Amino acid sequence: MATIEFKGKEFDVDEDGFITDYKQWSQEWVEYVKEQEGIDELTDEHQLVVKVLQEYYEKNGIAPMVRVLSKLTKMKLKHIYELFPSGPGKGACKMAGLPKPTGCV
Amino acid sequence: MGEPASKIEVKNIKDIGLDEGAARLTPERIEKVINEVIDNETGARLKVYVDTCVHCGLCSEACHYYLSNDKNPVYAPAGKVKQTLWEIVEKKGKVSPDFIRRAAELCYTECNLCRRCAMYCPFGIDVAYMMLTMRRICHKLGVIPQYIQDTAQSHSATMNQMWVKEDEWIDTLFWQEEEAAEEIENLRIPLEKEGAEVMYSVIGPEPKFRAQLIYQAAVIMDVAGVDWTMPATPGWDNSDMAMYTGDNEMMGRLKKEHFETAMRLKVKKIVMGECGHAFRSVYDMGNRAVGWKMPPVQMVHALEFYYDLFKAGKIKVKEKYDKPVTLHDPCNVIRGRGLHEMARYVVNKVCETFIEMTPNREHNYCCCAGGGVINCGPPFRDKRVYSNRVKADQLAATKKKGVEVCIAPCHNCHGGLEDIIHHYKLGMELKFLGDIIYEVMEKPE
Repeated sequence: MATIEFKGKEFDVDEDGFITDYKQWSQEWVEYVKEQEGIDELTDEHQLVVKVLQEYYEKNGIAPMVRVLSKLTKMKLKHIYELFPSGPGKGACKMAGLPKPTGCV
Repeated sequence: MGEPASKIEVKNIKDIGLDEGAARLTPERIEKVINEVIDNETGARLKVYVDTCVHCGLCSEACHYYLSNDKNPVYAPAGKVKQTLWEIVEKKGKVSPDFIRRAAELCYTECNLCRRCAMYCPFGIDVAYMMLTMRRICHKLGVIPQYIQDTAQSHSATMNQMWVKEDEWIDTLFWQEEEAAEEIENLRIPLEKEGAEVMYSVIGPEPKFRAQLIYQAAVIMDVAGVDWTMPATPGWDNSDMAMYTGDNEMMGRLKKEHFETAMRLKVKKIVMGECGHAFRSVYDMGNRAVGWKMPPVQMVHALEFYYDLFKAGKIKVKEKYDKPVTLHDPCNVIRGRGLHEMARYVVNKVCETFIEMTPNREHNYCCCAGGGVINCGPPFRDKRVYSNRVKADQLAATKKKGVEVCIAPCHNCHGGLEDIIHHYKLGMELKFLGDIIYEVMEKPE
């Protein structure tokens, strides 16, 4: 466990760099993860993925299948990976403030 | 071996599964469970191992934990057994909840069950078996890291490791069929085709997040003209974290479901994707847990499958991959199955420049993610990254020789090496062998 300070905000993160308390999520966190993940430019599409992940997580308590993410954002799989090179389970979930998914990821 | 392991202090890492599990223990319950496991499930094998070890220390130098932690004997394989089973056997189960708490963290997060040490032991003592026996005790005592227990629970509820529902699985296959058909006309992912030659099986994370791996496999199957199918029912997931928590009953249920699915579809063999631990489960531990000495349906790992396709000339290479590559040999399919030469044959078929890492083949160092260690989740991430400095050195040496890409044909190796490459700033790309085959193969225009 560590605390990260970024643009005047504090975030508690686990060793994989995911927020440990979903309530701490904010737009500053999105910007922080953008830098960490080596994403060149933050677009509306990144924000849409974050929004969809959060809505699904708040309702179901788990990250959605990438298929569901694709349906709800109308993005192809390849494009999701272009937006988040480390993938939906790592980069996108991290940016959205979700916990690190369990399993072989 | 120097300082006795017991004199060196090790700090517990906070984990709700381990902490709360240990808090519920009583000495009476510990003794009862331990003796049940030792008396009813171990037998001569454990006794011979415990009695035979002469503490020569040859296993120490074989272990990446030991080497990466400045040769701290706490991490020597014999030291790990000393801190767990030897003590338990010697004291006939009369150990404290604190002892179990430490033993649990050790057996789940400080050994990858990679069996490298077993190769250097003059008696061939299988330390992985000892650690698994310790995990079995911890499972029965309910002292298990939270993340991996969640995964085992998913297996139990859904028969896959990522909480994937039946309709989501089918929907994902249809979706990838559609996306792949845009590239290859009329491509199908044949569902439930009775009597097909091959049933293709994958692990949970593929449909959940990495569906492109299913896409790529479908393209390879299609171009090679393989008569294949995928099941529409649970049983499609070949993975098995229950094997690694010590839930042997669940491990048996999973493998029964997997093999019975193949039997229902009347396929000749099961081909599985690039996963290591799942191979251990279908070829060694899981099948044997339900009484099949060998898999009841022929099991072909992706490495062997690719080899067969290239040997038969069913896949042709348009232009070889031009970045210099190295190959990481995963424990479960190399030490566990001897596929190293087949892997090299395929790598040389598809890549221009292949540079070996040293040591390699069955002597390769572990990724430090396998054996369920990465599945124990974020609390133990730093420990496994620090405990694999030798892997970073090994990769850095290949980089000096010009390597830009590391091929790791196993999901857990992928996860572990990704963290190693990132933490030690090695600046290498990581790929599955299938990624490269898909990229360089001839496809219909």
